[in-house]
Amino acid sequence: MSLRRPAGLPCRSAAGSSCRSAVGLSCRSAAGLSCRSAAGLLALLALLVLAAPRALAQEVPLVAALSQTAVEVSTGFTGAALMVFGSTEAPIGPGGDEILVVVRGPTRPLVVRRKVKALGLIWVNGPAARFAQVPGFYAIAGTRPAWQLLPEEVRQQNGLGLDALPLVSTGARAPGFRAAVLELETASGLWLEDAAPVEIGGSRLFHVQLPLPAAVPTGEYRVEVLLVRSRRIVAREEMGFRVDRVGTADRIATIADTRPLVYGVLCVLLAALAGWVGSILFRRS
Amino acid sequence: MQVYLPIAEMSVDALLLVGIGFAVGWLSGLFGVGGGFLLTPVLILIGIPSPVAVASGANQTLGASVSGLIAQWRRGNVDARMGTVLLAGGFAGSVAGVQLFALLRRIGQVDLAVSLFYVVVLGTVGALMVMESVRAILRRRTATRRKLHEHFWMHGLPLKIRFRKSRLYISVIPPALIGFGIGVLSAVMGVGGGFMLVPAMIYLLGMPTGVVIGTSLFQVVFVAANVTLLQAVQLGSVDLLLTMLLLLGGVAGAQFGAAMGTRLRGEETRALLGLMVLAVAISLLWGLLRTPANLYSSGPAL
Repeated sequence: MSLRRPAGLPCRSAAGSSCRSAVGLSCRSAAGLSCRSAAGLLALLALLVLAAPRALAQEVPLVAALSQTAVEVSTGFTGAALMVFGSTEAPIGPGGDEILVVVRGPTRPLVVRRKVKALGLIWVNGPAARFAQVPGFYAIAGTRPAWQLLPEEVRQQNGLGLDALPLVSTGARAPGFRAAVLELETASGLWLEDAAPVEIGGSRLFHVQLPLPAAVPTGEYRVEVLLVRSRRIVAREEMGFRVDRVGTADRIATIADTRPLVYGVLCVLLAALAGWVGSILFRRS
Repeated sequence: MQVYLPIAEMSVDALLLVGIGFAVGWLSGLFGVGGGFLLTPVLILIGIPSPVAVASGANQTLGASVSGLIAQWRRGNVDARMGTVLLAGGFAGSVAGVQLFALLRRIGQVDLAVSLFYVVVLGTVGALMVMESVRAILRRRTATRRKLHEHFWMHGLPLKIRFRKSRLYISVIPPALIGFGIGVLSAVMGVGGGFMLVPAMIYLLGMPTGVVIGTSLFQVVFVAANVTLLQAVQLGSVDLLLTMLLLLGGVAGAQFGAAMGTRLRGEETRALLGLMVLAVAISLLWGLLRTPANLYSSGPAL
């Protein structure tokens, strides 16, 4: 809730003010006739916007769903698999419609450091680049790779593909740092590009299974399913799921985060207790 | 059996951790040290992030040393007065050490600092121990008697106190300084410092060997507790689950090691410990010298 509201508010107010000022300006400056026509145009546009979802609802070019809306990270967590599936109105496959699935995890700031040789002898961390918003998880899969389906600028605009991710960095500016982010995140299994293709069943059903490794960050994930027809995105469906720690893992992480002093004392006491119990157990036997 | 570590945020084989705990506990029981100097590098080796390895290593050392301390206390082998002086220095040192660690983490040099500290400290201590014990083994053959302890400039310092258990009348400044140094090292390296404290007490302070192990455990337990607390509060990098799994194996291993240690002679034990310390130092030095497989590394921005 608190996350969505700030994002929604500026959008709505910006749209509202620009509309009002535009109408106001044209009314004051131009003659009555043009003013009426402008108002009529606006009314027509509003009608279209209102009617559009209803028209879509009748046709429904694309429906999609997730196998689960919550991934629980317990102490036994070794990773999970997320199934994205759905169906389309028109047949999918070569020559027909194509499907792209994108999953984006919560973003976090990341520092990438390059090792340099100091004193001609030992390797130390040298220049660093700071990337502000790096998705902690990113996976893209399609019936075909995204670069085959969409024009380059559309792909870059929508961030479809690892090389199209908007990574803004401060600090060291060498291109090697961006490549290093891609390499490190891919190696850790947190970034996936076309790991498995979207499978088609019965020409109108599609599904893809995406692996979530054990190191997936917790938080809100967004899943986008895009319907591509003749190199254009014609429909999209957005869904979300959450990754949360549960049980003991959650309790430990929460206490460590919210009440570090209590957690520290607890760690000291429990370790001492374990040592004491151990000495008693082994003295008897 | 995989287990998810909530603070390290990764999944590790639980049996592997218990096994590491057992092996390190066995060695530490054998040599009468906490074993933190072996544990932290091994944890880093299996992929635990350095800050978590250091903080959890200190926490594990605390648990492992408690059982040893209880046993030594019962036998009256703890010089509590000397321990308290060492501890006062140790607390100040560990506070300073955690600040240093936080600074290193901000500038991204934790891995380098931890490795360098290990190479320098372990290399020096290991070499000294091997040399001393080899000399002792040779001396045993020739059987010449040594003075109980020698007097030098250190004994002219003010603030003298009588340490009855240690049969010493010396200034509190040297033990407090030693305690401070060990405190700094234990915060940065995630060790209790027993392997440095024991030789320091014997050679620098001239304490009798009988009370050295007990008194060092006294200092180690409290300094490790302080480091654990500070790391948890300031950096939030103590992984309780990791500590507990290590302790599970460690406590058992320490008992087996201690039982075996009684069958080895003092000089041989010290020579072996010295060699092991040297081996760890050399392997870490190699890690710094060789060309890394990947020049780039990433971490969370602080």
